[in-house]
Amino acid sequence: MVGKSKAGLLQGTLDMLILKALSLGPLHGYGVGQRIAQISDDTLKIEEGSLYPGLYRLERRGWIESEWDVSDNNQRAKFYKLTRSGRKQLIIEEQNWERLAGATMKALRAS
Amino acid sequence: MSRIKATVRFLHAWRHPDEIAREVEAELRFHIEMRARANIEGGMRPDQAQLAARQSFGDFDRVKTECCEISRSHPLDSTPFKMMLHITLAVLSGLAALWAVNVPHHNFTGVMRQLIAIAVLAYLFIVVRRAKSQRRSDTNQSLMSDMSDASSGKITAYDEQGRTPVERILKS
Repeated sequence: MVGKSKAGLLQGTLDMLILKALSLGPLHGYGVGQRIAQISDDTLKIEEGSLYPGLYRLERRGWIESEWDVSDNNQRAKFYKLTRSGRKQLIIEEQNWERLAGATMKALRAS
Repeated sequence: MSRIKATVRFLHAWRHPDEIAREVEAELRFHIEMRARANIEGGMRPDQAQLAARQSFGDFDRVKTECCEISRSHPLDSTPFKMMLHITLAVLSGLAALWAVNVPHHNFTGVMRQLIAIAVLAYLFIVVRRAKSQRRSDTNQSLMSDMSDASSGKITAYDEQGRTPVERILKS
């Protein structure tokens, strides 16, 4: 299949990616998008605007928390960091994903 | 602890909606500015960079509204507590309604009871509406991922070891 393919990520995948990005250290929203792109070798590019509702949802669930601070370029920015329950949730999400990905792969490779 | 903080933030968002809206706007504008800077560093003219940054961000107002709504949504949504909360409220509302129809309407106590019943029912209505709107927003969220290699048009969802991009991230 040739051509540009766009696929909606599975429900909850964006949340997992955000948690993963923040598990590597606190970041502002822009940095979260950059880090996801970076750790996926620019393969996964999150639609920039959709990142923020995801961040707010995770904060509301208590998995991340935020505070205003000064960024590298001396501007006021909101930084997010993973909470303890967020770290636990990331482990659960990773396990679920691995189970799902493994089962899907197995189904695709079935002859 | 983090849930307590989320609840405190929720109450703050309810009491100061304008402040939350300003904060959300400042945060989103910061993002666009960072993107514009990156575009300039990538060789774009400032006006082009700004335009491209806005375009890649998407619908600013929609995102802002959505973030404000999430800030004001109940922090217990999407948890087992949510179900318990709704059941409790439904029972309370039913009891309140029964109580209200069984008291005389002409004295002060009767009127007060009816007002309490109305308040409980109104609260239930708001919570259920918010839960529905949250579920809709979760379903409609745009989680677009471009898994193709833009330069070659070749799909790069799997690497040599047959891993998906997300699997690669999780292992990194």
